[in-house]
Amino acid sequence: MNVPLSWLRDFVDLTLAPGDLAARLTMAGVEVEAIREVGAEWEQVYVGYVEGVERHPNADRLNLVRVVAGERALTVVTGAPNIAEGQKVPLALVGARLWDGHSDEPKRITLKASTIRGVPSQGMVCSEKELGLSDEHEGIMVLPDDAPVGTPLRDYLGDTILELEITPNLVHDFSILGVAREVAALTAQPLHPPHVPDLPRSQAATGTDDPPLVAIDAPELCARCVGVAIAGVTVAESPEWLKGRLAAAGLRAINNIADVTNYVMLEWGQPLHAYDRDQLAGGRIVVRRSEPGERIESLDHVVRTLDERMLVIGDAERAVGIAGVMGGAQSEIGDGTTNVLLEAANFNQYAVRHAMQTLKLPSDAAVRFGRGLDPNLAWEAAARATALILDLCPGARVTGTADAYPAPTTERTVDLPYGEIARLLGVTYPVEQTVEVLGRLDLGATVIDGAAGEEPTLRVIVPTWRQDITQSADLVEEIIRVIGYDTLPTTLPEGRTVEPRRDPLRLFADETRDILAASGLHEIVCYSLTDEPSLDRLATDGRWVTWWERDRPRFDATRLVNTLRSDWQILRPTLMADALKTLSQNLKFRPTVRLFEVRPVYLPRQLGQLPVERLTLSIALAGERTGRSLYTTAGEVGASLDFFDLKGTVEALVARLGIDGVTYTPSDYAAFSPGRAAELRIAGDLIGVFGEAHPQVAANFGIAAARTMLAEFDAEALFSKVEKRMGTTGATRFQPTVQDFAVVVDEATAAGTVEEAILTAAKPLAQSARLFDLYRGEQVPTGKKSLAFEVTFSAPNRALAEREIEGLRRRIEGALQKRLKATLRA
Amino acid sequence: MTTGGSIEVGQIEALEREATDRLAQIADEAALEGWFREFLGRKDGKLSGLLRGMGALSPEERPRFGAAVNATKDRVTAAYEARKATVGGAALTARLAADAVDITQPGRPVPMGTLHPTTLVTRELSAIFALLGFQTIEGPEVEETRYNFDLLNIPTNHPARDKWDTFYVGSRGTDDTVNEIVLRTHTSPMQARTMQRQDPPVRVIVPGRCYRYEATDASHEAIFFQLEGLAVDKKITMSDLKGTLTEMTRQLFGSSTKVRFRCDFFPFVEPGVDFSATCAVCGGKGCRVCKGTGWLELGGAGMVHPNVLRNVGYDPAIYSGFAFGLGIERIVMIKYGIDDIRNFYANDLRFLEEFAGTRI
Repeated sequence: MNVPLSWLRDFVDLTLAPGDLAARLTMAGVEVEAIREVGAEWEQVYVGYVEGVERHPNADRLNLVRVVAGERALTVVTGAPNIAEGQKVPLALVGARLWDGHSDEPKRITLKASTIRGVPSQGMVCSEKELGLSDEHEGIMVLPDDAPVGTPLRDYLGDTILELEITPNLVHDFSILGVAREVAALTAQPLHPPHVPDLPRSQAATGTDDPPLVAIDAPELCARCVGVAIAGVTVAESPEWLKGRLAAAGLRAINNIADVTNYVMLEWGQPLHAYDRDQLAGGRIVVRRSEPGERIESLDHVVRTLDERMLVIGDAERAVGIAGVMGGAQSEIGDGTTNVLLEAANFNQYAVRHAMQTLKLPSDAAVRFGRGLDPNLAWEAAARATALILDLCPGARVTGTADAYPAPTTERTVDLPYGEIARLLGVTYPVEQTVEVLGRLDLGATVIDGAAGEEPTLRVIVPTWRQDITQSADLVEEIIRVIGYDTLPTTLPEGRTVEPRRDPLRLFADETRDILAASGLHEIVCYSLTDEPSLDRLATDGRWVTWWERDRPRFDATRLVNTLRSDWQILRPTLMADALKTLSQNLKFRPTVRLFEVRPVYLPRQLGQLPVERLTLSIALAGERTGRSLYTTAGEVGASLDFFDLKGTVEALVARLGIDGVTYTPSDYAAFSPGRAAELRIAGDLIGVFGEAHPQVAANFGIAAARTMLAEFDAEALFSKVEKRMGTTGATRFQPTVQDFAVVVDEATAAGTVEEAILTAAKPLAQSARLFDLYRGEQVPTGKKSLAFEVTFSAPNRALAEREIEGLRRRIEGALQKRLKATLRA
Repeated sequence: MTTGGSIEVGQIEALEREATDRLAQIADEAALEGWFREFLGRKDGKLSGLLRGMGALSPEERPRFGAAVNATKDRVTAAYEARKATVGGAALTARLAADAVDITQPGRPVPMGTLHPTTLVTRELSAIFALLGFQTIEGPEVEETRYNFDLLNIPTNHPARDKWDTFYVGSRGTDDTVNEIVLRTHTSPMQARTMQRQDPPVRVIVPGRCYRYEATDASHEAIFFQLEGLAVDKKITMSDLKGTLTEMTRQLFGSSTKVRFRCDFFPFVEPGVDFSATCAVCGGKGCRVCKGTGWLELGGAGMVHPNVLRNVGYDPAIYSGFAFGLGIERIVMIKYGIDDIRNFYANDLRFLEEFAGTRI
């Protein structure tokens, strides 16, 4: 909302400079978003008096105008059609900075002396657009008769506009008078509301036996409707002062009657509507619910279809307005209107919001009604508007009024036990100061003494325009926002502390992040929304399925109803697609990219149920294992990361998480290259999959790397396998024994099978069996391979004797020969 | 064979002189070994040879002679050890000198990973609030409107709801009273969930992802991280809120940081404020980052609204509490001088690697 300080000054003396006033309002909750100076840039522009106008000798459409401004008297050429002798106009001299009146975009120009069709022009008479006041450029701006000739225009017309952001709770500040009341309270100045002559309460316009001017058919949605019949109006352009104020507040001038309704809405916060009464069937209106499907042509000449949750204003035959939103075209005030019915009503905020949102018509009126107005505003606002219309139309008179107000809203009483102030704020203020502060806000407080030793209570009368104040906490806010939050001390909470509990899953997630970052991977965080085509890139057959169920979830329950981007349709059920997408983007400028993400995926359940948010880990690697460096051999440089780089990362992760019982089994998940993918299982349970992305899948993401590594793990399943261990095995006290075993097995025998056979045979003394050599070729028959393992033996309570080692060796050799048909190599 | 002690003694002295003179000339380990064999070798060393020649002496002379030889042998051995240390040290020094490297060459590369900046700041906040006795908890990102709005004193259709442009999920009912499913617009639903789940005292912070159905620009993301704080007990005051936020900003931005409250409206707090901290960049003097105001707006806060306390079954006449919410990206942007929030989710390594060295 725009608040011109010139208007505000009508109602309150401003004791603070604009910047300080803005700061004070903002601190108190009425946020000033910007301070705009109107006319600050007007140099060399004065109030001029038009002494004479004559036709330009060489051009029919141009006039030569003699203008005086103080001691200056000059002749300017103008094409303005509305120029006339005796007018007061803004006169710009050479050198003035103005806006280009002919440009569609705001454009500054400097006025130069010029010769137009052979006649020198020594200045310019200005339109509102040229002064930056509005877009009006049809004619020059005509100043009020009392404008002081020769005065710099800035001194006469300059203004400061506060641009306010009014929060939904502050509907009472949504007007010039409301802000004036706020300023008065904050600066301890008296409020000077405008003098409003009261309206007669009479039915004269209709016969006493006739139905009243206004009636309410839907009292549940309309608390009040005031009608004023005015006869003998003359519709005309509004005077400059009125147009000027509307323009300063950001509204366009229409005609004097419509402008008055807008003016009063800005000043009082109460929207009003004026009907051409001669166009109303029966000359009366009724507030009723719309018929389903009822149609009306609104003022903007769009035919709109209404529903029964909307309110309309009807005459005897049809809807003539959408209540609180927009009037109808049929009864619009026109040049020939002489009889007016002025309506000031109080419509239900939800009905108006429903209509405003359904019809997408956020009019100034609807925005105000939508916040819930005080019904008691209507009568005074109607009286103020009537007085203004009578001023502007000397022949007009009130022929009748009506006030349908079945259940008047009355003041509310709210008790504030004095101790509440200290209990909520941690500080208290003298009772007298509190009462004084509340009084400034028109909150009349009476001190009721408490029983012996008890705090007193403030009984506060809350005026009806403060519908936001319903309980003691609301009053505490009023007190502190006026006294100032800077008076609050800083303390820390006392008393009981909470149980020092840490979320183990959260700690696990952080531990996982640390391990992976220490392993050289970068953590990414991607948007949690995706679309199905993005998921389908993960499959070679164009149809993504999950790796755990090999099925595609039904996304109804995780699909967005409204979205901002075409690739934001569903909550992502996997992190894999984002991993590959991010990998691809980064490979454009990095030879090696190693990424991970630890975030939830969203697994749909039934429609209407919240999805499962499952913490998940993804890893993606691609590019060179090592770049050129002093320490790498030519053969190593540029070699691609492969499956075993990823497996090493996974092994390090599970080892550092302290997880035992890990097995790796081949995976045939379709995102991977067959034969280069594994399932991670712990104690038999599937935790996740990892492997080299299928080349087609990599290509789907625009990845050109030789090999692309991809993994996804159910982090919560992984977490469930972490056992908290206390103590140690003590194995470190005795020197372990290390022995090498070299075996020749069939090509098809997995290294893991040999490892497992070794460990089983020498249980529990064999701690580990590490494959350190793999050989095919001379001395190894075709179809066979030679594996060399380094096996570590140890016992917790003794150093192993040579005899024991020899026994273990024989057990291992026996098992390998028997179970795997292995040949032992010397 | 000569006889007579003095002659033999002279012989010993001559040999000692020869041994020590030659020893002094030796500079390398090979020569030292040769010298050792020549003079101190057990079999053919000249000093041992003296003892072997002792048979020619009279039994009375032998002890004296033997003692003299042994004493000499000890001295020569000591001289040898000393020389050996010197020569060996010099050899080591020479070897090490030959082994020197250009220490300005780069080290062997070790892949260096990073944590996402939102992770870093979330952890930092969690650590700060742990010291203040707050548990860190998390909650669902996909929420019911009951928790996201209704229980927080934001009724259906109320204009206050307009503040939160919302993504709806699943099929949307047409009835205004239905409990819909949305992407949470703030972390505040966890206020209601936490209070429903437990009795006071409550002290929690809730970091997490939030969603707003609004266009993105340099300072607004549709998907972002927020941190909620909630403390409820008997005697929790707004001064405690100010003190808690002051401690937080001091830890984040430095010990001279101050907090300012301005009255503001959030339906789930009363009184409600927005809070700012003195600008971490200029210290409050006014700069580009704080747009000349000296203050950085960080978030919203206030005393938990009595209606919210009632909604979760707490008696507002007995319990009071404070709540606050702040944007995690905003803190990162202030701390690390980032001017475009969209950097966070572009996941460009050139951006992420900026955080390799900036941990707390």
